[in-house]
Amino acid sequence: MGKISENLNYPKISVVVKNMKSIAIIGSGIAGIEAASRLSKFGHKVYLIEKNSEIGGYVAQWDRLFPSQTEAKTVLNDLIKKLNNRAEVLTNVTVQHCEKKDRQFELVLTDNKHLVVDAILVTTGFDIFRAERKEEYGYGIYENVITSSDLEKMFAENNVVCKNGESPKRLAFVHCVGSRDEKVGNRHCSKVCCATAVKQACEIKELYPSCEVFNLYMDLRMFDRHFEDMYHEAQSKYHVNFIRGRLSEAGENKEHQVIIKTEDTLAGKPLKLTVDLLVLMTGMEPCYLQKTINSKLGLRSDTDGFLSTKNSFTENNLSNADGIFVAGTCTGPKTIPETLADSRAAAGLLNSYLMS
Amino acid sequence: MQERLVNSFDPFVIPYTFGLIFLLTYLFIALIRVIQALPNDDKFKLLKHIFSLKIFKSMKEIFLECLLHVKIWKKNWTLGYMHTALAFGWFMLIILGHFEVQLFAPHRLNLPWYPIFFRYFMMETETTMQGSFFFFMMDLTLLLVLSGLVLAIIKRFRRKLFGMKRTTKLRWNDQIAVIALWSIFPLRFLAESFYSEISGGSFLTAGMGSIFHWFYNFTENEIYIRPIWWAYSIALAVFFIMLPWSRFTHILTEPLFIIMRNAGIREEHRNSGYGKVEIYSCSRCGICLDPCQLVSVASLRDSAAINYTRHLRLWKSEKAHQAASICLMCNRCTKACPVGVDTAALKLNTKHEVVTFHTDQQYDYLTSKTAESGAEPAIAKTLEPTDVIYFAGCMTHLTPATKLAMTKILETSGERFSFIDEDGSICCGRPVLLAGARKSANELMKKNAELFKQTNAKILVTSCPICYKFFKENYDLDMRVLHHSQYIQELLKEGKIKVDPNGAKIVFHDPCELGRNSGVYDAPREVLKSVGELQSTAYDGAESLCCGHSIATESLPYRKRHMIANDAVEKLTTDHPDVLATACPACKKAFSETNKIAVKDLAEIVAENLKC
Repeated sequence: MGKISENLNYPKISVVVKNMKSIAIIGSGIAGIEAASRLSKFGHKVYLIEKNSEIGGYVAQWDRLFPSQTEAKTVLNDLIKKLNNRAEVLTNVTVQHCEKKDRQFELVLTDNKHLVVDAILVTTGFDIFRAERKEEYGYGIYENVITSSDLEKMFAENNVVCKNGESPKRLAFVHCVGSRDEKVGNRHCSKVCCATAVKQACEIKELYPSCEVFNLYMDLRMFDRHFEDMYHEAQSKYHVNFIRGRLSEAGENKEHQVIIKTEDTLAGKPLKLTVDLLVLMTGMEPCYLQKTINSKLGLRSDTDGFLSTKNSFTENNLSNADGIFVAGTCTGPKTIPETLADSRAAAGLLNSYLMS
Repeated sequence: MQERLVNSFDPFVIPYTFGLIFLLTYLFIALIRVIQALPNDDKFKLLKHIFSLKIFKSMKEIFLECLLHVKIWKKNWTLGYMHTALAFGWFMLIILGHFEVQLFAPHRLNLPWYPIFFRYFMMETETTMQGSFFFFMMDLTLLLVLSGLVLAIIKRFRRKLFGMKRTTKLRWNDQIAVIALWSIFPLRFLAESFYSEISGGSFLTAGMGSIFHWFYNFTENEIYIRPIWWAYSIALAVFFIMLPWSRFTHILTEPLFIIMRNAGIREEHRNSGYGKVEIYSCSRCGICLDPCQLVSVASLRDSAAINYTRHLRLWKSEKAHQAASICLMCNRCTKACPVGVDTAALKLNTKHEVVTFHTDQQYDYLTSKTAESGAEPAIAKTLEPTDVIYFAGCMTHLTPATKLAMTKILETSGERFSFIDEDGSICCGRPVLLAGARKSANELMKKNAELFKQTNAKILVTSCPICYKFFKENYDLDMRVLHHSQYIQELLKEGKIKVDPNGAKIVFHDPCELGRNSGVYDAPREVLKSVGELQSTAYDGAESLCCGHSIATESLPYRKRHMIANDAVEKLTTDHPDVLATACPACKKAFSETNKIAVKDLAEIVAENLKC
């Protein structure tokens, strides 16, 4: 099956090779990898620029993915396999300088390497909100306050325990940490945290069936296919408690348990809970290098800091600059399937741009 | 000298005399109304002040501020000179004019126009030399006023020369008054110059007069000379009539304002007579515009103090309330105000007028009602006796690193202390008060004071400058109230705690409530100097910026708050310090949310470097 679909999707390399063009893709998360594999299959020369030492972006850090509980490793390996080493991967570098010459771009990387490319695809992705900025939640101050990505690592290492090594008897997830929060300057919804919280709540219950799990949410945004099923299962099968209310502050007792103050806004009552582990669902923010990259490439961000597109309906892979394309979460929070679809669309668009 | 006209009257004095009578009548009525609007005890205070020696202090202040404008000199010399030249110069013209009449025609002092148009009614004689001193003084003063006028005109186009980036726009009423004011002195100059051949003059008027005569040798009755006296009289009349309806009202209200303020009258409940005098004392000079970060950073010009007072003058109470509710109450404007208009107090009254809080329903958790209903009581009912009580404050609970640092410091110091709001607290009341809810604030204060009393403590330490200011100024507590910066300084001085200097480069941001609003500037600096290298900035002490996250504002959008915080962090970190230190949980949160530099409370810095 896989073979047939690939043959259907891609033209034979020999056909396009004489028109070979070059593209620089900035950021090698899943959006960058997927676009790189499509574009190289179209027969173009692809440079994949990555600031870290490994490709794969944040997905490489996740354990299992909602809603199907597929292992993140499997998805990433599939994507890398499809790339099949056809792109030139440049790690530990970022763009130092960019100059447009006619229709080409001359890029200077931080290792002083010069690249001349016909187009640029920006797939710089997102960064995770630094939970320390919500000091009232005590991340980095109280030992049993962790973030959703910390928990994901614990799942991957199969070591979900409190700081003292004991398994949690009571645990709470706080939704919307650094998202939908004007106080920290982020008005946007990060889209994936609700589903992640429900997924992680179920996983906790699978691991420790007797652990009491609370999810403190503002709204539950179960917008995509099978999300609602997952949410339903969390309640009916795993008995996860969902409380509508935002955390006001967290404290710590002598036993290093976390005391949280919130309000059950449906019951209209203030609530004080003592939990063994508090998980902060940290949201997405624009990549911390986005502003620098914008100044080098002449790109514009919207007020939320994510990149602007030419038209959010019909030209959402075009940036404000000619020859520079955008895909993935650098234009706003997206789920993994959305990111991949977006990057495939960008690859298609880029191909027709390069062939014209 | 001798009189030139027998009846000492000329029709051109009519506009001036009419204007003066109008102004004096208006003044009289306004004064009566203002005094009527004062609460009785304030009337008593005013009387007591007027008939005490303290009135001389007020007189001195009136002389220094209304005439010499000393505070403006401190801000900018050119601006100071301009104000002195116009105000003191004009005042001297009036005084010297009366001296002249007293000297040469004392029987004419009963004619109100006589000193003003003195040169028209008098002529030189062989004894004129007696008046040469006055002629010289009059010309000198006129020159002073004219030089101020030239500067005032330049200021309209080149305000940067006067140290101002922004200034006020003139409305139609102000425009009429300004044009009248600007024409008064050149017209006087022209009229007196033309007449200097007859009535004498000194270097300025006589000099100019001889130049005129050199061009054309005219006589006094020629048709185009008398109109200048008419124009001079009309300009004065227009200015007098426009005075109560323009920014120049402050010329008359400011002295009264100074007397009332020195009499100890304050606007505490609602804006009464004193408030009226206060808002009309605003000269709309625009000095408060530049310091206001709502104007300079957030482009919210309508909220500036100067525009708030204008809304009040124009009875636009809704707009005034808007400006009051958006204001951060950082008091940068009141510190800069040369008149000393306390708009912060007026704004509180404006807020208080519209607030609709009901204390009974809101604070039942203070009593046992909540406990009966089964919910956990918010506050411990009794407190154990101790020496030091530490009250972190609600805001500090949102920056737990600070309260943990304070606990560590207190434990190390070996003092007998109790952390009284560890498991929740009652608000100190200042945030509610700043929202205009006085009744609610009183309720909270009463309960807190009761609780504190139970401990028999000698010292109350708080980490929140908002609580500090309120405990110190509005509570009548039988214990010392200290902000933690002051307490840490004492502990260090007494050797109860010791620190290892780490040499870090530190910039200290003075929180508005601690610095400008409570006057605590040195303690935090002394504490920080014991740990690291304290860098100074252009915004130290009373010049400190607002972080943008003041609890006083009710309606400033977060985007604007972030703009102010970002701008402040940028300005404070130009010398690349390792850490930006502050002593207020609100500032700490505001600055750390900008995600630009390590932000720490000074207690954290001390706790990290404690020698155990």
